[in-house]
Amino acid sequence: MAELEGKRALVTGGAQGLGKAIATLFVERGAKVMISDIDEAGAKLAADELGESARAVRCDVTQESEHEAAVQATVDAFGGLDIMVNNAGIEVVKPLFHHTEQEFDAIYNINVKGVWFGMKAALAALPQPGGVIVNMASLAGLGGVPLFGAYSMSKAGVVQLTRCAATELKPMGIRINAVCPAFIATAMVDRLKPIVTEIVGVPFDDLAAMKQGRVGTPEEVAEMVAFLASDDSSFCTGGTYVLDGGLQAAML
Amino acid sequence: MGGLLEGKVAIVTGAAKGIGRAIAEAYAAQGATVVVSDIDEGMAKETASRIPGASAIACDVRSEEQVKSLVDQTVAQHGGLQIMVPNAGIGRPVPLLGMDYEEWRAVTSVNLDGVFLCIRYGAPAIIASGGGAIVNICSITAQAGTPLIAHYSAAKAGVMSLTQTAAVELRAQGVRVNAVLPGFIETEMVTSVKGDFERLLGFPEGQFDQVIAMKQGRYGTAEEVAKMAVFLASDRSSFSNGSPFVLDGGCRASLL
Repeated sequence: MAELEGKRALVTGGAQGLGKAIATLFVERGAKVMISDIDEAGAKLAADELGESARAVRCDVTQESEHEAAVQATVDAFGGLDIMVNNAGIEVVKPLFHHTEQEFDAIYNINVKGVWFGMKAALAALPQPGGVIVNMASLAGLGGVPLFGAYSMSKAGVVQLTRCAATELKPMGIRINAVCPAFIATAMVDRLKPIVTEIVGVPFDDLAAMKQGRVGTPEEVAEMVAFLASDDSSFCTGGTYVLDGGLQAAML
Repeated sequence: MGGLLEGKVAIVTGAAKGIGRAIAEAYAAQGATVVVSDIDEGMAKETASRIPGASAIACDVRSEEQVKSLVDQTVAQHGGLQIMVPNAGIGRPVPLLGMDYEEWRAVTSVNLDGVFLCIRYGAPAIIASGGGAIVNICSITAQAGTPLIAHYSAAKAGVMSLTQTAAVELRAQGVRVNAVLPGFIETEMVTSVKGDFERLLGFPEGQFDQVIAMKQGRYGTAEEVAKMAVFLASDRSSFSNGSPFVLDGGCRASLL
């Protein structure tokens, strides 16, 4: 089923991980996708793998002008922009008061301001009504996660930006939702595994199995993003959609 | 290309009309074999007759015996059960201090006890069939105070809690349990009580629609709820478990 047939999308942080999985599924479902990433070579490589329907553009999400250029590149390449996916993000995993000021600022600039810039730039091109924005938040945006203090703060910021933007843009017919995954099998999680294991004293995989059954897959996150990007979710806006294998539901 | 629910057997309660019927239709369109269940046998049969491959089984979800029999008959007829949608629900506006115990129990016995019974007897059949999904039809009234429907919203909050516990307990056995939380949807249940809400709240005629327009832009449609129910029943939501899935046109996103 080609539920995104004819749609034109821009995915930030699309060179790898969740972003790449989202771009891949979007192309499978019939969309044209602009992959943006601060790693321009990586973005090109990912776009080449996806063939004719995908293109690449460099974008440092902390720079508003680069967002504007990425949106323009999407419009130039595909004739418009229907779906904006603000996916780019970074993590810092350490006790909250061991974060450096630089780390705290970087988390804020990329994960929060980057999403705000992305929505703002997309607004100039998204159709009204009909435009869709999907922001990558995290389960950490809905509850405190030790060792992810600044990250958790930033993802809560994404959730609130999503709610406020959805409310303000409702009259324009633009839908904005946030996806909140728990631990997903990406390079990001590979990086944090040994840190979590060392500090918590429990092997990461055991912790993940206990709390969320298993680690989720990027493809599962992509499915949720595709649902929210499609007309199937036409009455959803300002929502937070969780994929966590039951973690949040459990008291223990 | 096959549908998202190809080869699955699904029970939808309260499926003769409204949201339940829309879910039954959407599931059948995605390839599922659907059992249309309703307390009104005649209407269940009529609805089922219009849905390809569907059959009807009457069930009052307040009756343990009837819910058990609904599941048993379904398994006997179709060889298994992969999807259970406890959707049957009732509601009517009554001021809290004018609500007698009978009224409270009338609503909670369908909207909460009925969901418990569907999970209690549906889940073992799903486990025996190799796993599947339970999609509880809840409501955004589970998340905030809603005047005049204390019984309805308390029951829905109970359904959300039950969703979470069931998700945690049944995870290891391959049953995912999620809840759909619609805002106000254009169904007979909602349109038939608009006037009562206006009268009891002292609103001028037509103000209910204005409040809905302000809070959620417009009424949602039963088809929109059904699309969410398809997503949650399908493998596309394979990592979601125990979560609320809101569709409310942005109502809950704003405090104002």
